[in-house]
Amino acid sequence: MTDKMKTRFPLGRGIILAVLLLFSVIQLFPLVWLIDFSLASNTEFFTSKLLIMPKEIQWGNYPRAFIDGHFLLYLKNSLLVNTLAVVVVLVLSICSAYAVTRMRWKFSQAAKSVILLGMMIPIHATLIPNYMIYDFLGVRDTLWSLLLPYVAFSLPQGLFLAASYMESVSKEIEEAAIIDGCGTFRLLGSIITPMMKSSLITVMIMTYLNNWNEFMMASTYLSTSKWKTLPFSILEFTGQYRANVAVQFAVMTLTAAPAIIIYIILSKHITKGVAMGAVKG
Amino acid sequence: MKKILVSLLAAVMVFGATACSPSGQQTSGGKTVIKVFSNLPDRTTGQGLVEQKIFDQYMAENQDIDIQVEALDDEAYKIKMKAYASGTNLPDLISVWGQPSFLDGYIDAGLIAELDPNDYDGYGFVEGSLAGFSKNGKLYGLPRNTDMIAFYYNQKLFGDNNWSVPATYDELLALAPKIAAAGISPVAMDGNDKWPISIFITDLLVKIAGTSYQAETLKAISSGDFSHPMYAEAARLLQDAFDAGLFQPGFEQQDYGTAQNLFINGQAAMFYMGSWEMSMANNQEIQPEVRDNIRAFTMPVVSGGAGVATDIAAWNGGGHSVVAKSPVKDKAVALLNYIYKPENWTKIAWENNVCMSAQDFSQYKTGSETPVQLQLIDIFSQATSISGTTINDLGSSDFKTKFEDLSQQISIKSITPEDAISALAN
Repeated sequence: MTDKMKTRFPLGRGIILAVLLLFSVIQLFPLVWLIDFSLASNTEFFTSKLLIMPKEIQWGNYPRAFIDGHFLLYLKNSLLVNTLAVVVVLVLSICSAYAVTRMRWKFSQAAKSVILLGMMIPIHATLIPNYMIYDFLGVRDTLWSLLLPYVAFSLPQGLFLAASYMESVSKEIEEAAIIDGCGTFRLLGSIITPMMKSSLITVMIMTYLNNWNEFMMASTYLSTSKWKTLPFSILEFTGQYRANVAVQFAVMTLTAAPAIIIYIILSKHITKGVAMGAVKG
Repeated sequence: MKKILVSLLAAVMVFGATACSPSGQQTSGGKTVIKVFSNLPDRTTGQGLVEQKIFDQYMAENQDIDIQVEALDDEAYKIKMKAYASGTNLPDLISVWGQPSFLDGYIDAGLIAELDPNDYDGYGFVEGSLAGFSKNGKLYGLPRNTDMIAFYYNQKLFGDNNWSVPATYDELLALAPKIAAAGISPVAMDGNDKWPISIFITDLLVKIAGTSYQAETLKAISSGDFSHPMYAEAARLLQDAFDAGLFQPGFEQQDYGTAQNLFINGQAAMFYMGSWEMSMANNQEIQPEVRDNIRAFTMPVVSGGAGVATDIAAWNGGGHSVVAKSPVKDKAVALLNYIYKPENWTKIAWENNVCMSAQDFSQYKTGSETPVQLQLIDIFSQATSISGTTINDLGSSDFKTKFEDLSQQISIKSITPEDAISALAN
């Protein structure tokens, strides 16, 4: 919208602003709700009101979430597992996308299809077979038992986005680089990867967010608290029949915070990346 | 670039390798490790607290033992238990449910260690409480608590409005519109979790069939023939409750916490739940006008039914077993026996107002019991018969899923009793 238009259509701009504001409120409401209820007591929780004003603000929910929920240990584990998963997924996505879009070999399309098929496999179906494999390999209850499935379940999406973008990168640039004496890995690292920044950031964020809240695999493959991740914090407040929901909300607020911060920092790239994926996919 | 990539991958591999720890290790700092897999993840309140207290006490008394607890909630617990059963590295002591739907598969697979009933002669287990943990005359586990189902009600609310505790099911249904007219829900029901509705059906079956409920139902499940009129009758009575508006609107979508909070916040006059909720009377977070007025009654009699008021729905659900292939089996059995010494589980659970144990707890009365606690003890001690395992847990795990789904459908009249029974038979 140009400056001229802005002055000519103040009403239109007002409507757009109002609509955007409305959407922002709708989008942000669950977060406000989460924080609001995380400061209430467990018995105030279920009410017909949308938001509540706690009789007494329960700041104590946060220290409980922090200490009894082993927040720091689980946060460290979550950050580590997720960062490693993102790094591995990015490296594998770029390499495999290059292999199936640029390299000419007999089974390139078949290999791509097989990896993409991974998107169809429900996590539940893999729990027990994977457990048996990890048990056999002796990697149960180690970092590998989370890293391997997280990478495996995120790779199809990563390959899909990376490959669809890579197909649109002009071959002439690569040819020019090769003529100048550039090797395959340098070509990937210095020429292609920087051009794919937006779509790779999308891969990165999707991998991060998908695995950040993952619990089913983590609860099956891990036994001791050494590598447990943040969703286990919520579990610490689950009784046999009922839960301390208020403290769980405090845990959820603390858990959501890093993911939200990362999203805010990278949101520009995500929107760009997803739009590109949508056009070129 | 190649170098960076290679070093990055190498770093990841090295880090991962150092992260690996040897599996199957059974000692830690010279101590024997007993691995416990529990379904009580909250170790700071309720039964999880009692369990943890006993473990801490045991470790203090036995310096050579290290008890390592892994705890998950029921759903995740059951999935992980299947995974454990298919691997080689099982824990030593596990939480179990004394119900064929859970325990039979593991017993048949030879995973659960047989216990010696003579070890428990002086333990005061309530008669029949070991039945769910036994198969073919052999004992495989011990029950943690005795659960019974009740209608919790707000005595003051009843008194102020001249509502009386119903003596028959018809009176209960007749009470529903009167309570609704006062602008609150008659009974808060956790319909979303489905099992409370299945327990409601069990409660009705007990009042219809009396003491023959369990024998008949076991027969029906094994033959797939549910033509006995009590099943259709129970389904019809449940649908009568729906017609009378006994449960809160949308109960089938409301979970445990939501239903409970309706009652706690005075938005429902009654709450249908197990005896473990007697601790509501001690919960300082509940407003005193509700907390101090909580009382309980059991399912009233059904007209024409064989069951009398003192035939109640009660069972022994959760408990512990020892894994047969555990490398420290003897030590795990010793720990199990320690947990269930009457002065441990029974006493600590009762004193903390957590639950009624499956053992005789009369000697541990403190004199400071709440009225509802005393009421529930009275109901239990005066019972002429108890139902045992509820109907949803009497069959296989498939039967459990099917029955619980159907009971929810019956409760909202989305299926007729006849169709439900024929669906059950298939």
